[in-house]
Amino acid sequence: MNRTLTKPFTDDMVRPVMSTTVWFWAIVLATGTVVASGAAAWGYQLWYGIGLSGKRWPGFWALYLTNFVFWIGISHAGTLISAILRLVNAGWRRPVTRVAEVITVFALMIGAMFPIIHLGRPWLAFWLFPYPSAREIWPNFRSPLAWDFFAINTYLTGSVLFLLLPMIPDFALVRDRSTGWRRKFYGALSFGWRGTTRQWNRLESAMQIMAIAILPVAVSVHTIVSFDFSMANVPMWHSTIFGPYFVAGAIFSGIAALILAMAALRKALHLEKYLLPLHFENLGKLLLLMSILWGYFVFNERLTVWYGNEHHEMAVFWATQRGQYAPLYWTMVICNFIIPIALLSNPYTRNIIGCVVASFGVVIGMWLERFLIIVPSLAHKALPYSWGTYTPTPVELMIMAATFAAMILLYALFAKFVPIIAIWEMKAGDFAHAPRQGLAAADPHRIDAAAPASPEAAS
Amino acid sequence: MDRRHFIKLTAITGTSAALTACGNPENQVIRFIPEDDLVPGVATWKPSICPLCSAGCGVIARVMEGDAEVFRKGQAGVIRMGLAKKLEGNPEDPISQGKLCARGQAAIQITYHPDRIGNPRKRSGERGSGQFTDITWDEAIKELTGKLNALTAGNDQASLAFLTKPRRGRRLELIADLLQRYGARPPVTSELFSDEVLRRANQLTFGEHQLPTFDLANARYVISFGADFLGTWHSVVLQSVAFGRMKQGRPKFVHVDARLSQTAANADEFVACKPGTEGLLALAIAGEYAVDAAAEKTGVGRATIERLTKEFTTHGPAVAIIGGAPLAHTNGLFQAWAVNRLNLAAKTVGNPGGLTFAASAPVVATRSLKELLDVPPRVLLLDDVNPVFTSPPAWKVAEALRRVPFIVSFGSFIDETSALADLIVPDHSFLESWVDAAPETGTAPRSKYGPVMRPLYDTRSTPDVLLQVAAGLAKPIPGLPGTFEEYVNAERPEENRVQHVPPGAKPRELANTRLTIAWTDPQFDGDTSQYPFHFMPYASQMLFDGSLAHLPWLQETPDPMTSAMWCSWVEINEQKARELAIEQGDIIEVTSTQGSVRAPAFLNPGLAPDAVAMPVGQGHTNFTRYATNRGVNPISILAPVTIPETGTLAWSATRVKIAKVGDKQTYDSLILFGGATRERPDWTHGRGDEH
Amino acid sequence: MPFRWGMAIDLNACTGCEACVTACHAENNIPTVSAEQASRGRAMHWIRVERYYEGNFPDVRVKFRPVLCQQCDNAPCEAVCPTYAAHHNEDGLNAQVYNRCIGTRYCANACPYNVRFFNFFNAEWPKPLHLQLNPDVSVREVGVMEKCTFCVQRIKAAKTAARAEHRALVDGALQPACAQACPTSAIVFGDLNDPDSRVARLARSPRGTRLLEDLGAEPKITYLQKQPWHEPDAY
Repeated sequence: MNRTLTKPFTDDMVRPVMSTTVWFWAIVLATGTVVASGAAAWGYQLWYGIGLSGKRWPGFWALYLTNFVFWIGISHAGTLISAILRLVNAGWRRPVTRVAEVITVFALMIGAMFPIIHLGRPWLAFWLFPYPSAREIWPNFRSPLAWDFFAINTYLTGSVLFLLLPMIPDFALVRDRSTGWRRKFYGALSFGWRGTTRQWNRLESAMQIMAIAILPVAVSVHTIVSFDFSMANVPMWHSTIFGPYFVAGAIFSGIAALILAMAALRKALHLEKYLLPLHFENLGKLLLLMSILWGYFVFNERLTVWYGNEHHEMAVFWATQRGQYAPLYWTMVICNFIIPIALLSNPYTRNIIGCVVASFGVVIGMWLERFLIIVPSLAHKALPYSWGTYTPTPVELMIMAATFAAMILLYALFAKFVPIIAIWEMKAGDFAHAPRQGLAAADPHRIDAAAPASPEAAS
Repeated sequence: MDRRHFIKLTAITGTSAALTACGNPENQVIRFIPEDDLVPGVATWKPSICPLCSAGCGVIARVMEGDAEVFRKGQAGVIRMGLAKKLEGNPEDPISQGKLCARGQAAIQITYHPDRIGNPRKRSGERGSGQFTDITWDEAIKELTGKLNALTAGNDQASLAFLTKPRRGRRLELIADLLQRYGARPPVTSELFSDEVLRRANQLTFGEHQLPTFDLANARYVISFGADFLGTWHSVVLQSVAFGRMKQGRPKFVHVDARLSQTAANADEFVACKPGTEGLLALAIAGEYAVDAAAEKTGVGRATIERLTKEFTTHGPAVAIIGGAPLAHTNGLFQAWAVNRLNLAAKTVGNPGGLTFAASAPVVATRSLKELLDVPPRVLLLDDVNPVFTSPPAWKVAEALRRVPFIVSFGSFIDETSALADLIVPDHSFLESWVDAAPETGTAPRSKYGPVMRPLYDTRSTPDVLLQVAAGLAKPIPGLPGTFEEYVNAERPEENRVQHVPPGAKPRELANTRLTIAWTDPQFDGDTSQYPFHFMPYASQMLFDGSLAHLPWLQETPDPMTSAMWCSWVEINEQKARELAIEQGDIIEVTSTQGSVRAPAFLNPGLAPDAVAMPVGQGHTNFTRYATNRGVNPISILAPVTIPETGTLAWSATRVKIAKVGDKQTYDSLILFGGATRERPDWTHGRGDEH
Repeated sequence: MPFRWGMAIDLNACTGCEACVTACHAENNIPTVSAEQASRGRAMHWIRVERYYEGNFPDVRVKFRPVLCQQCDNAPCEAVCPTYAAHHNEDGLNAQVYNRCIGTRYCANACPYNVRFFNFFNAEWPKPLHLQLNPDVSVREVGVMEKCTFCVQRIKAAKTAARAEHRALVDGALQPACAQACPTSAIVFGDLNDPDSRVARLARSPRGTRLLEDLGAEPKITYLQKQPWHEPDAY
């Protein structure tokens, strides 16, 4: 194996943490402004009431919950993909995992805010917590929203752990290379990591356990998000396909988000040497697979509704197929199906640019998919006299824009403070034939500073 | 165990072990407030009369104690007093029978309206500028008395005019009485949707100058010629109650019109008829007109006429009703007479299931608005009427009023007419004063009730003010009661006669039944080639003739046929609109020879293709915060065509053209509560989700 | 025996006049939201009269159907509320505890009848319109769902009065505001547990149907279907 990852790699990884460029400040300023405007818009909405959004009778769920589902979907990029790749021991995952896991944590944090923004009385959101009160009133555990609350919290906790655990050795690395406040800061974050074999073993088994445990959690969380819809007897919501459909859609949008993030980091942090076209191509293949799977689900969903010809559902069906929402619907089909398949099934276009274009389309398309699940169905329930419509307002759009900006901002900050590629994992990759030795070799300040004599000695 | 119980149970068994609190969550977890802690307030009920239309429904008001900010002698303060909270129909009232229409329900908002005038005011700016300064009642009465004394001094008492609503009762009698004894001419009444031509026809046919009462409860066949008797025409609650009773049997109700009104929507059969020819159809059914000729003129198929004739004669008791648009043509008298002939043919006049005439109070002689406009008075007293709004522009009412040197308004609100006043002496609301009514219909005796609550503001009952002014004149009118209360409660000899007309009572004379009125073609303003559409303004279910546009409940209650709120709209036949590439909500300009108005289109499947319809009610330029500058007023494009025999406005006699001038807006000017107009929308055009 | 309040609506008699709608506003402190808000779909009408056109001019008909909370026995709104703001009370009503509502609006999604309305803003009653407010009904604040209660305050008052006078409730004496206003008496209200009550008898009528019955929410309102007229000879 070609041992590429020596000192220059570690330097490349640590450099962004140690020095700050103008671009960083520019991004922070730009996105920070948008986030601040979004916060102001939310404050405005808190003060005057949820009426500042465009929601109306009878479609009481709209843009905020579209974004909720969208961001929860995006969050499936990271932990889930990372865990699967870790479990199947795909070597090419190593530069990708942390990039991906961070998306999960931030997307979840952003996504989980939306149900609160969406509430009529957000200051009472704590009533969803099962806390003992004098009146013995608990949350209603029959409500899918209560399930959501637990599912998302579990997933967030798990994802944060999954992200933080493998960061400990890298924090220790930065700690050892820095002075002043950075040394104290990273010292605290590295939880006294000394790089003993025992610590490495524990880290490795913890990661293994987490990778196994996070999979069902990730699948369940988006299934439960889909339950918010499929449990209600609303035309085209009340469907058994929603669980897998949502999970597939989530992974689909998640991969797209991951590709976009990787491409951005590659450019911004000059990681061309580490995030290789191969990584994009592999993820592109995965995206292609998910695109086909997504198309399969949509076909299933649409065909059964159309063939079943139940008139309440047909109202929603036609509203999306050729009515008011048709432009959005067909944009979604083009973005989610036609563009990815055209670009990614062809080896010549399955390059970085092709992947980025396709991913961009998928992110837009999947956002539209969430919108088209929520809005047209609620607008066309069983009694046609109560049909409605929906147009978003500036407040809603501002808050939505702020969450996209927040994602970029958080990501920029994260890349600023944490090595964005897991240094030790990359190094361990160099010893893929002998993982234990690799782990040991990855540690820059192992106690026995001498180079390993042989693979046998390390194991 | 069904699915939901299963989910409940699994959820509960899964969680209750951990939480130990939940047993049966439906009943135990949720008792935020024990039911015994909820103590309803104590209410008393006081009777009154709904003032909104001439039906004179008896109401009861729920009165509860509350803290009210009130004005006494120019001072504001909070006192605890009985406040009316809700109006219901008075179960003991023979008109309302415990029921009430939407408008009547909202009448309570008059009392509590935020823009109600609370004290006397005197104009301080230009006339119509809306600038007034507050004055005291003493000053106001002195001013008014002074003006009247000045007329008397100039021996010009005839230059005093009183403009009011045509409401039968002691109030109008007192006004007429005072005017006569002062030396002025009778009061002038103004009403847009006047039924004067029907009264005239009834006078000619039956010798009764009044509107009939229909015994719908016992009728088995009802044919209505344009009469919106369940919505806005005549005594709506009385008629609706009877209709509900009728519907307990298996009657047939046929409605003849060019537009599917709310009443027509309840018909078992809707017969489309050319506007202005309904009378011919009635005569043909009565067997007094050739079926072929009638079919040609009315556009109703020969077979239909023959079938209707057969049904009408075999499924009695049958009754025919005419009202609204068919009467508002130049041949209105013929139309009304023709329907009277049909009723005579049904032989139900005065019989169960037919029409009767209530023994009503003596009719007070009144004058028409036209007389007032021709000879403007020098002092005009305005009693809560708004002829500036309800008259076609060609009558130039505002211009005529501007030439009146002194105008006094008694109304509780500034509207287009009272804005021209020099002096405003606001009346109590009906809940704060003595009220009375002498309905034209039913078996109702005169009813009279005292105030329900104490006044909120520094207002005074108008009859009391008139009495006070009369007593203070330089040449006082002798023998007057001190207050309206005394006047209302004073026994009058002529009232001792029988008040109740039992069902089946005969009209007083049927001597004129042989009288014949010749058919004349209805005359329309605007020729067919240039103005291809009949213009059908109609009384809005909620806002009536616009006099109720200031009540927010009525503004926001959806119109029954369109579900529109807070707006004006133009109804166009749905298929015709498709031909003209007009979509729901597109802005349409409706133009007559008199001018044009713009409003959003409502595609109505129930309107004749050669007609456009618009509700009257919106388009106020100055009528409280809730109605000002909202929508457009269709009266403003009506041609000044009148019914020759009565001089009342023929509001169906205008023709218009339409043009699309703008697209639907995101937050539409067409504000609909409801979505689709059809229960099974047609998706084949991709139009099913229009709303 | 507990009560089980129910309603029957005779579509033969309903004329679509909307008296019930205004009466409901008057009784239940339902705010008017202004034209601007109404155009944004925020108008609140706990009871609405649905109007459906059938056919085209001149062969055109209209169907009216008052729709209000159906007070379902198996209410979809109750299960989905995470805070129990929507719950079943002892009389079988779908009660809404305004103070407990946090405004997820899930109940409105779950409700197939779309009879739930949301307070998008704090309601305004410009003085002195507030003096009309019914003191027996709470005024709802921003962010809270509301819907028809079957005039629960009137039920409570009638129960209290009956208990004070040591008598049973009389069928028909207790009416919600819509039924009381309805000029044609199309709306009949009463106790379904009393087999002799008018509403229980109407609920058993062969003309009786439930709205969207196949969804299984078990609504407590019976709609007596409109009967077309036909020649008596045809019998």
